[in-house]
Amino acid sequence: MASVSSALIAHTTNLDLVIRHVLAGLGQGIHAGRERGSGVEFSEYRAYAPGDEWRRVDWKLLARADRYYVREAERDSHVALWLVLDASASMGEPSRSIPGLDKLAYARTLLACVAAIAQRQGDAFGLVVLCGGRVQFTPAARGPRQLQRVLAKLNAAQAEGALPDAAALKSGLRFTAAPSLVFAASDFLDFPSPLSDALLRLRHMRHDVRLACLQTEAECTGGFAAGPAYRDPEHEGGVFRFGADLREGYLRNREAHFGAMTAACRAGDLPLVDARIEQAPGEVLRQWLRPSSYGAGRR
Amino acid sequence: MNSLWWLALPIQLLPIWWHRKKRVQVKAEPLASARFLPRTEPRQMRVWRWADVVLMTVRCLLLACLIAWLADPVLPWRGNTVVVAQGSDAAWVEAQVAQAGFKDAARLPLAAGEALAWIRAHEREWKPDARLLVLGDIPMPASLPQFVHPLALRTLARPAMPAEVHVLINSARAGEWRRMFAALDGPLRVVVDDLPGAKTELIVWDQPEAPPSALRAPLWWVADTTAFPELAKAPAAAGMRYADSPRGRLWTSPAWPPANPDAARRLLETWRSLHYAPLAYTAPAHSFSASTVPASVHANGALRGFLMLALAALFALERILTHARRR
Repeated sequence: MASVSSALIAHTTNLDLVIRHVLAGLGQGIHAGRERGSGVEFSEYRAYAPGDEWRRVDWKLLARADRYYVREAERDSHVALWLVLDASASMGEPSRSIPGLDKLAYARTLLACVAAIAQRQGDAFGLVVLCGGRVQFTPAARGPRQLQRVLAKLNAAQAEGALPDAAALKSGLRFTAAPSLVFAASDFLDFPSPLSDALLRLRHMRHDVRLACLQTEAECTGGFAAGPAYRDPEHEGGVFRFGADLREGYLRNREAHFGAMTAACRAGDLPLVDARIEQAPGEVLRQWLRPSSYGAGRR
Repeated sequence: MNSLWWLALPIQLLPIWWHRKKRVQVKAEPLASARFLPRTEPRQMRVWRWADVVLMTVRCLLLACLIAWLADPVLPWRGNTVVVAQGSDAAWVEAQVAQAGFKDAARLPLAAGEALAWIRAHEREWKPDARLLVLGDIPMPASLPQFVHPLALRTLARPAMPAEVHVLINSARAGEWRRMFAALDGPLRVVVDDLPGAKTELIVWDQPEAPPSALRAPLWWVADTTAFPELAKAPAAAGMRYADSPRGRLWTSPAWPPANPDAARRLLETWRSLHYAPLAYTAPAHSFSASTVPASVHANGALRGFLMLALAALFALERILTHARRR
């Protein structure tokens, strides 16, 4: 797994490839799949779709009907999985040490891996992209096509604008019926925010909500260049300066912000993974997927 | 002195400095965690604006052109040259040119009296490897000139051209006067006129009555001073008295007309030496080798016309570009 570094993410935009590499490093047994293969109890035949596993094709039926059919099994999993991607402008923050890598690409990779795992397990998964003040909602579904759809949506997400407001989030996050897992990747620089409120609300509704807080190495250590002036990508007005004399204050402010955020997450029973985008994505994924000590603990 | 203007060339740094100084812009990189940093004033960065480089170039050229116009540079453009004094014998010139191997050299006709001085003054117009050949009846300069370029001087004394002098004699003793003028030798030829004319240079007045008031001549020889009261208290020199009057210069002597050949020769010699330039002495042939004496700084303004045109064009261009930039 160590061989898969985040530099790979910077090198390719092909999410399929990245997923294959990251998940190959993860190996088997991260998740306790309840089902093996595609289920035990036959449910129905379905026309073959590109991306289906060949072993699930019913060969006898092929001989009889001269068409490819796939055996669909009855599933006893009712868990839906929701991927929440923060694609606000601040997620465009690049890594100062790995060229071409930014928070959005890293978050995209993490969520794509989770989606691929869900697809392998036969769980339904959906995607929510928060971008430019809007909520782009992809309904939950199963299967390889859904994976391709989600990957395409992830790839299309661009870091721009601000997070949507509370009303838009409330109408956007309307998967409240079934018990579900929510994987939210954001930088949580706005906290509390409509997003954090929505996630807390989901947690109160007994959903398993897991947060990944993405940061860059430079953000954690205050390793910015002192030369250029800086501006906030999400808030207009004002130019900011960085220098060795300001590093102490920067780290203190940042510590205070994320300390408050971590405390709020702990109080709200939201498991939080602090991830630096220079870290290998496999490690972060392993932490993120680890069964939480509290909550539903379905994985 | 003109070349001191070249020292003003650093003034071109001014437009360059202005073009650099004027352009400022604010540059800020996005930083997601900028909210943890203190706010600061936008920093102005001085950057080169390459969009204006055309205007800057035109302005620099304009200044350079102006300085060049003031400095009036002389470009060496003349090659081997044959300087021919005007009025030289063409056949002799051709023979000399062929003999000296200047067949392909350019010909430069100059007045004989000024040829050497002119060459000395314009010596920077010749290329460093140029040679010069000076032909004709060149008068001998007072001191040996020095030239930066090797110069061969070949001279051919030209017979002096007889100069006609119109003389009006108004005298009862006209025969004596005429005899005296007829004895004059040298380049001066005296033509005795019966009536005064515009060309009359000498009037011999040997009569008691006054001359007509309109009669003018550069020189009067007055043998009878009755009509010329200004000669009464005139200063004397060389055996005669002289005075200036509205009619012209007056000479008088009681011993006129001269009684013997010596007195006549003395009078004619005085007249010629005081009123006519001496005949030049033709310099002997000489070969001047190149000397290290620096060429005299002589600006002839050869490039001034062109530079003035360029200056006008550049000025118009600069105005147009400035206007276009403001729009």
